[in-house]
Amino acid sequence: MSNILTLLIFFPLIAAIFGFFVNKNSIRVYGIAVSAAEFLLSLWLWKSYDSAQAGFQFVEKMPLIPDFGISYYLGVDGISLFIVIMATLMTMIGIIALSVKDGLKNLIITLLFLEVAMVGVFVSLDVILFYVFWEFSLVPMLYIIGAWGGSKRVYAAIKFFIYTFAGSLVMLVGILYLAYLYYTTTGVWSFSLTDWYALLLPMTVQKYLFWAFFLGFAIKVPMFPFHTWLPYAHGQAPTVGSVILAAVLLKMGSYGFVRFSLPLFPDASVAYITPVAVIAIIMIIYTAMVAYAQKDMKQVIAYSSISHMGVIIIGTFAMNAEGISGSIFQMLSHGIVSGALFMLVGVIYDRRHTKLMSEFGGLAKVMPTYATIFVIMTMASVGLPLTIGFIGEYLSLAGFFKVSPLMTVIAGTSIIVGAVYMLSLVKKSFFGPVTNPENEKLKDLDSKELWALIPLVAIVVWLGIYPKPVLGPINNSTKALVQLMHNKAQTPEAKKIILVSKKAKEAK
Amino acid sequence: MTIGLSHYLILSAILFSVGLAGVLRRKNLLMLFFATEIMLNAANIAFAAISVHIGDLSGQMFALFIIAIAASEVAVGLGLLILIYKKYGTLDLDNLSIMKG
Amino acid sequence: MENYVYIALFAPLVSSLFAALFAQKPKIQLVGIVTSVLIIVSLLASLTLLLHIEETGKAVSVTLMDWIQAGDMDIKFGFTVDQVTAVMMSVVTLVSSVVHVYSNYYMESDRSFNRFFSYLSAFVFSMMILVMSDNFLGLFIGWEGVGVCSWLLIGFWYDKKDVTRDINPSISPSWAANEAFIMNRIADLGMLVGIFMIYWNLGTLKYSEVFAHLDTLSHGMLVGIGIALFIGAMGKSAQFPLHTWLADAMEGPTPVSALIHAATMVTAGVYLVIRANPLYSQIPEVGYFIAVLGTFVAIFAASMALVNRDLKRVIAYSTLSQLGYMFAAAGLGAYWVALFHLAAHAFFKALLFVGAGNVMHAMHDELDMFKMGGLKKQMKWTFLYMGVASLALSGIYPFAGFFSKDTILEAAFNEHTYGIWFVLWFTAGLTAFYSFRQVFMVFFGDERYHELGVHPHEAKPYALWAMAPLAVLALIFGFFKEDFVEFVTKFLPAYEMSEHTEHMVWILTIVTTAIALTGIIIAYFKYSKGLKRNLEFEKKNKVYNLLINQYYIPILYEKTFSKPYKELSEIAWKEIDMEIVDAGVDGIAKAVKVMGDESRKMQNGNLSSYLKWMVAGFIIVTVVSLLTVVIK
Repeated sequence: MSNILTLLIFFPLIAAIFGFFVNKNSIRVYGIAVSAAEFLLSLWLWKSYDSAQAGFQFVEKMPLIPDFGISYYLGVDGISLFIVIMATLMTMIGIIALSVKDGLKNLIITLLFLEVAMVGVFVSLDVILFYVFWEFSLVPMLYIIGAWGGSKRVYAAIKFFIYTFAGSLVMLVGILYLAYLYYTTTGVWSFSLTDWYALLLPMTVQKYLFWAFFLGFAIKVPMFPFHTWLPYAHGQAPTVGSVILAAVLLKMGSYGFVRFSLPLFPDASVAYITPVAVIAIIMIIYTAMVAYAQKDMKQVIAYSSISHMGVIIIGTFAMNAEGISGSIFQMLSHGIVSGALFMLVGVIYDRRHTKLMSEFGGLAKVMPTYATIFVIMTMASVGLPLTIGFIGEYLSLAGFFKVSPLMTVIAGTSIIVGAVYMLSLVKKSFFGPVTNPENEKLKDLDSKELWALIPLVAIVVWLGIYPKPVLGPINNSTKALVQLMHNKAQTPEAKKIILVSKKAKEAK
Repeated sequence: MTIGLSHYLILSAILFSVGLAGVLRRKNLLMLFFATEIMLNAANIAFAAISVHIGDLSGQMFALFIIAIAASEVAVGLGLLILIYKKYGTLDLDNLSIMKG
Repeated sequence: MENYVYIALFAPLVSSLFAALFAQKPKIQLVGIVTSVLIIVSLLASLTLLLHIEETGKAVSVTLMDWIQAGDMDIKFGFTVDQVTAVMMSVVTLVSSVVHVYSNYYMESDRSFNRFFSYLSAFVFSMMILVMSDNFLGLFIGWEGVGVCSWLLIGFWYDKKDVTRDINPSISPSWAANEAFIMNRIADLGMLVGIFMIYWNLGTLKYSEVFAHLDTLSHGMLVGIGIALFIGAMGKSAQFPLHTWLADAMEGPTPVSALIHAATMVTAGVYLVIRANPLYSQIPEVGYFIAVLGTFVAIFAASMALVNRDLKRVIAYSTLSQLGYMFAAAGLGAYWVALFHLAAHAFFKALLFVGAGNVMHAMHDELDMFKMGGLKKQMKWTFLYMGVASLALSGIYPFAGFFSKDTILEAAFNEHTYGIWFVLWFTAGLTAFYSFRQVFMVFFGDERYHELGVHPHEAKPYALWAMAPLAVLALIFGFFKEDFVEFVTKFLPAYEMSEHTEHMVWILTIVTTAIALTGIIIAYFKYSKGLKRNLEFEKKNKVYNLLINQYYIPILYEKTFSKPYKELSEIAWKEIDMEIVDAGVDGIAKAVKVMGDESRKMQNGNLSSYLKWMVAGFIIVTVVSLLTVVIK
């Protein structure tokens, strides 16, 4: 089955088009069936993936515009494999948990289109193809926020769209310039990433290009001070929109750093560790404080996303296999955990039509199952060992400790400030007496919500205890990436900081 | 004193400026037409003169083309002017502003 | 033997999961029985391991499976049972078993009976991981695990509402739980940093490998690691300045206080220092600091216990004070002494707490000792138990505390740190005083409880039987000192007293016993007879107010940390995020919009003005192109 990636991209597309002809009453079943099939397909991809290999697998290459070296070039490695699986999983879970009544059909079709874009971004190895999927992902999300969102949905949707779009245009300029450089050095046009990896760029050029790509990725992540679109988008988006936004779309930015910035510009990346780390530290502490000040449950989790993304960035710029593996694992963990938390907020919103913490209090007594799952996810979010949240956070920080112990200590306060806002959220909403009479008769989770949440709880515990099946392939590919960066690095400083792990060295 | 290229070009420039001034100052559409014709002919003079100067006929050919286009333009333009006059009863530019953004 | 390791470790987990199945159901007695039995199974497995190691003298190690592998980091779930671990396991499971059985009585009418046992067993499991792990990260799992269980159990009665500090100094169970968790997290960061340092300098986190290669590190690095790990220990063991959570943790059900906040979890910090003894022996200056801090905490906490009226808080402060003793011993290099006191303390302090639980039940959850008195008549056994525990705590021969505390004082004397010795000696007097103040106030004197309208009753017989093992151990554990020393010094460095100290032992013992007895006698005269609260004194006396308000430290923390953090957060959100960052973004968008609005005015529909713009554009283009030609 060599075309599995093509199938993975285009199956939801075709299914979405067929979706227009499906009866309104059966669209829900149809959506679940399609997304489940897609998820199984991605699991099959994992099963056929050879974990011992570090390079790209299931590679497909077909020229699209040969004159400019643009081709239909797909492949996965350990870094992207699990993000793809997470994208299909979260889409499925999001569709299962849907509680929207109006325009359900259109919403499900939009979600399937979004899935096409998400899978496409993570499996594209041609930069133009990547860019097309990258931008294409904005459109369904724009609709999801703008059509099914809250009262300020149009403002939020447009802000989201224009902000991220502006950033990616700068990145496009960078892409085109890099392609031009490739043409001038080799004499042929190529947009394939593997070709670009072989390109050695002078330091001055790397610096400009690094910031061009940085802007595109940083807005997507979102990094401070480009983060303000996120609270609006989350605040207004319907539950499924928030789930996918937090779980997958933000990861496009951090994935971009790993896939593009680090291997393409190793020297510039090393040179800019300090400013990037400072931004990441600001993200961690500052947004954690902002999260603590929020009155709205969903905003707490929205800001906490930014804080966690800070840890991911720190790990990425650790420049060693420990940190980068950790940051990729943390992407998965954050995807699962914040996705689940957004879903949990959606549950209470469906019942009470408010997300203000002051309206709640004592929910643990009324909705014990709900509270249990919420607390489990809270613990995963604050990085408790034996949950999925710990491994990524620990490895990211451990990796960066090699680069700068002092900054790691400051960034490490994430385990404190994270506990502060999450526990105060839990205390305000779930503990204390039931003061609001409206909360006295709330229904606990129904079967639909349980079906959506139990798998996530299972994953949180499973990958917390036994991360090897996931961390192993990630680690292999990361080691190869670090090796590549080390070989490419030109400045002595970069050679020193990009740390090839000893085991990889011995294997050579 | 022989008449050289520069004289023609100066004439052309003067004519062009006259036309330009007419375009800018006149308010009547018909007068505007005349002014553009003057500008076109200024260009024609320059084309023809340079064509002779460098010994290449394509400049004079261009001039002929421009004359032809100007003629057809006048034909279409005058037709439109009559229609505008019939519809609005005026050819004053300041009163014609249905394109306001 | 490997199987016993797994049984000891996983029986509590099975127990916890079993109870969790019924967590939302109303009370099922079977849950209490099954969990207690499973914990006892764990106890038996631990004791088997203890005997096995005693016989063979060799540690039992097992590796369960891989955990984290990234880069060069390779961490497995590995467990090793050596002498120290075996002692810790036995202590933990013994106290846990007692507390589990006792909780069947204490929680018998609680709505969330099943949930309680689930949390309690989960705690035992985490604690077992903590003591059994063979690497620092495994220790960290247990470390955080006990933290979460402690959070769940302190906040067990989560539905109580927040009140002001005047009514309840701990505000509410859920508040106290969050305080404990967050304060521990501060310390955990230190611990994590220590782990990072070890990893990047030695490339491994396994105890055996780490301690074997310590000599490859520079002294400065060792000091750094030692301090970082000790910061972690300070949080878990509630050492100053991270101590305030422990007293507030008394909001949890009393069995929890007995198990977690007296006998086991809070001693984890001491365990860490003992475990890392090869490290701390190489950095005596850090050890000395630990000893000084421990000594300070010993007297500091004891002073707060002197005046408190709250039955449980007094015991909590006494725990804090005894932890100070343990750190003093460990810091001075007398590791086995610290471990010995840890074990002895676990027995008598758990007994004391469980006894307090009986009193609370009898008094319908009243904690103010001024409202008790004369309970000796109704609660003979509880009185006996608490008396034994208090005697042990005060260090009276032949109770366990006498042997362990005396040895600590001897060690302090032996190290020529007379300051430490003196403070600890004085604290021993305070300890005896407040312990017996408590005993006399609760069990002697006039029966002040009549005002409350309660009819005190003795606990059920099985609860009293469950307490018996602790009482017996508090009584006789001291006599096993020689065996204990022989057993643990196979693993821990032996600590020999100098000849000079040997000569002095008798004098030291007499002096120490004398001050303890003095404390008891003062307490007797002051509290055993009639007792009235002196409100005038409580209002006016500055020292009293300082002590009852815990040196104003909780209020200070609130004023200097929690409140400014909250205010700063508000500012960060409302002023910075909304007013600067977001407004900046919107400002750019607005600027574009304004530009569009302004330039739209060009499009006024007037042909002649269009023509003017056209000409202007034409001129600009011409000028620019001419200029570029000229410049080139």
